[in-house]
Amino acid sequence: MCRLLVIVALLACAIGVSAQPDVDPPEWTKTQRLGVGQTVYFNAWGGDPAINRYIEWSAGRVRERYGVQLVHVKVTDIAESVSRIMAERVAERDDNGSVDLLWINGENFAALKQADLLWGPWTGRLPNAELIDWQGNPTTRIDVTLPTEGFELPWGTSTFTLFYDRSHVASDAKPPPRDPATLLRWIEAHPGRFSYPQPPAFLGTAFLKQLLLLLTDDLDRVQRPVGDDFDAVTARLWAWLDRAHTGMWRRGRLFPRGGPAQRELLAGGELHWMMSYNPAEASRAIRQGELHESIRALHLEGGALANSHFLAIPYNAGSKAGAMLVADFLISPEAQARKSDESVWGDPTVLNLERLPATDRAPFEALQPGAATPSPPDRLLAEPHPSWAARLEREWLERYVR
Amino acid sequence: MKRRMRAGVLILLTVSGVPTLSGLAAALWFGVDAASLTRVLDTPGIGLSIASSVWTGLVATLLSLALAHLAVAVAATGGWRRRLNAFSLPLLAMPHLAVGIGLALVLAPSGLLLRLISPAVTGLTEPPDWLSVQDPYGLSLIAGLVVKETAFLVLVLFAALTQVPAERLLLQARSLGYGRLKAWLVAVAPLLQQQIRLPLAAVLVFGLTNVEMAIPLGPDLPPTFSVMLWRWFVDADPAIHVQAYTGTLVLLFVTVLTVIVASRAARAFGVLWRRWAENGSRLRGEATARGAVGAFVSSVWILGMLALFAILLRSAAGVWRFPDVLPASAALSSWSGVLPAAGNVAGTTILLAAATALVGVILVLPVAEQLHRDAALRSRLGAWLFLPLLLPQMTFLFGVQVLLAYLGIDGTFPAVLWSHLIFALPYLWGLLAPARAAIDPRYLAVARTLGAGPARAWLTATMPLILRSILLAIALAFSVSIALYLPTLFAGAGRIATAATEAAAAAGSGTLRLAAVHGILLAVLPLAAFTAAYAAGAALFRNRRGMPR
Repeated sequence: MCRLLVIVALLACAIGVSAQPDVDPPEWTKTQRLGVGQTVYFNAWGGDPAINRYIEWSAGRVRERYGVQLVHVKVTDIAESVSRIMAERVAERDDNGSVDLLWINGENFAALKQADLLWGPWTGRLPNAELIDWQGNPTTRIDVTLPTEGFELPWGTSTFTLFYDRSHVASDAKPPPRDPATLLRWIEAHPGRFSYPQPPAFLGTAFLKQLLLLLTDDLDRVQRPVGDDFDAVTARLWAWLDRAHTGMWRRGRLFPRGGPAQRELLAGGELHWMMSYNPAEASRAIRQGELHESIRALHLEGGALANSHFLAIPYNAGSKAGAMLVADFLISPEAQARKSDESVWGDPTVLNLERLPATDRAPFEALQPGAATPSPPDRLLAEPHPSWAARLEREWLERYVR
Repeated sequence: MKRRMRAGVLILLTVSGVPTLSGLAAALWFGVDAASLTRVLDTPGIGLSIASSVWTGLVATLLSLALAHLAVAVAATGGWRRRLNAFSLPLLAMPHLAVGIGLALVLAPSGLLLRLISPAVTGLTEPPDWLSVQDPYGLSLIAGLVVKETAFLVLVLFAALTQVPAERLLLQARSLGYGRLKAWLVAVAPLLQQQIRLPLAAVLVFGLTNVEMAIPLGPDLPPTFSVMLWRWFVDADPAIHVQAYTGTLVLLFVTVLTVIVASRAARAFGVLWRRWAENGSRLRGEATARGAVGAFVSSVWILGMLALFAILLRSAAGVWRFPDVLPASAALSSWSGVLPAAGNVAGTTILLAAATALVGVILVLPVAEQLHRDAALRSRLGAWLFLPLLLPQMTFLFGVQVLLAYLGIDGTFPAVLWSHLIFALPYLWGLLAPARAAIDPRYLAVARTLGAGPARAWLTATMPLILRSILLAIALAFSVSIALYLPTLFAGAGRIATAATEAAAAAGSGTLRLAAVHGILLAVLPLAAFTAAYAAGAALFRNRRGMPR
């Protein structure tokens, strides 16, 4: 028995060690020296002022700490930057490219990695990487079924969450809909008040994936690439959508363009629902006076779609050292605690809090989630293989563009 | 002298023509691909998308043209010409993107217009589920284009009026017994129409191919073809890029075809018009017609002003539930959120616009001076400079980006400046060349006979006469630069953030509140520039009479 325990402990250690980054202190010092004065073009989605503010704050901190100039290149869709890197590859601009650091995950990561346009592996070189919850949160290692292999650094974790206006949707006597069937009945009973961002906007696609995972019988099937059985696997999803669209906002003839657009419609009273990958989004918006107090959150029964979002460095980045310094700062306990703060951004951390010294852990423990923040979901559902998202988007357009 | 003259012309043609033509060549080089054409035509909703581009572009152009002609006719024969001119300016100055964002905020079911009359008139306490913005028929897009293009065409018509003996023609027609309105429409309007064909074609091309107005107001399932292409250009998948290059050629083809068909149709319409002119019938109810035109023009103007007001209100509003006309709270969070960055954006926007205006005037003025007696060369050069306005921007801008990347200057300030000059030069030339040519050469001759050297003669005789035009040209180029979105996006490689790129990005993701914050800059800067130009002109010549304009 004793021996067994020892073996288990040793195994755990071995796993821990293998997942632990091998930081080379002299090399890191060299990175710090190289990074001084570098300008890092950080291409990140710029659609949310709170996130923009957070990046602005980070820029100030890395300037003080490392002398790195962080410039937030705000993009509507990170695919813009992916396509720019690809264009630079075509134009043979193989160094000093226009992008130094990317906020990325899923399909875009897959596209860059498969085209060999990412630099790395590099995440193991960062001192703070060992604080990440590699074991407890598998989405930090596997990005939408594709192993990250050190080419991207987890920055935050997302769980798909629905938000509703309690004054219209539920009461003490009547709980809000928590599964696809009851949601469908609610939509039909309240025409014009539910919608979702138009695929391929990533939240819209996420809604399709979340529904698919709840409506399919075979969760393992969607972990593997899409095949001839696409129609069979997705039949229930389309049946649900066909019925729901007739009761949706604008009768399903127009959809919000993205998450923030949907949030504005909820704030303006056109919609009674919105959705987000960030469970704290509504609480934060309420604090900032962008949403009314009656908003609440829920995870659908059966599990919440979850993934992590990452930082990556393109193969032709001009300021790789600077980019690594920025990335290391962004996963530092200081930056992560601030990011988790709902009054700032409210994006859940990727760090393993148990590994942090008490002083670093304290700011996390002091956080107070708002009334519109749900408790963690019972079950995390892994993202389907990316080929499903692509096929769902295509099929959605075929069906609903008329 | 001759050589220097050529040098100036050559520089202008190089600045404008090289990127345009090489961009076009690059589009052809990358775009002609049968497999990719199949994929373009295989896109869900492609037919509807192209049709909605053609429909919105054509209808908006026709409505704007008719409205502009009627407005000018009524105004010129009714003594409110100056007022119409003054009213058109703010609508002209505000960029398409700002008007589009503002109108989206006005026309939406939870927008300003319905709030103003709810619940008092409508009884609504919750926003209705109407497709009043981004409707599948493109009506809101057409409305937005009409607001902008009517103002533009009114000013173009006024400019053309200087080339037409309107008073004499009107007098002749009136002496035949026609009422004022019909006299103008049969005798003057056709001549004006002859003069404005080129700008009109530019309006049509812009209507067919713009993204600035179609992003906030256009339909989405499917979007107009140019918006579809714009999305392809920013997609991650390289296969879709090839599709986008091919798509821009389809856009070019559709545009050229539409312009040809429209000009044929216009000729047929001209015949009908002549028949109406020759049939001798009098226009009945002219007073009613005048009233109706006045009311319609006023409502277009009010719509434009409401758009500006909505932008100001929305950007500062916090929770703003329906049907409150004013927000319950002023959340300056969106302001405080973007202000630090907005400072940079404002700086870049203003610097770029000022540089465009300055470099543009420096390039154009000497050539206008040298060609002031060569009307033929002047109009040929003008036509060449006008070319970029007659092409779908996307078709050649991608090629421009490739060219700039090849030179290693994409994403730099000078590159974006260059791309802005391409679009500012035709306006500068159109304003400065005729202004210079209109100056009576005898002033200069008198100055020279009094013993002034060429430089001094120019400074004392020519310069004061053209100064107002220069001021106006600076304001115009400044405004053109501020409004430019696609050139900034492509030449700036996404690194140069201006009010236009920020506002378009926000509108593209549907966050109108953020779009409104950047929209303020977009709307206010051009208005300020024009106001400053007029004020400066008035101040400089406050004790002169009979100075041009």
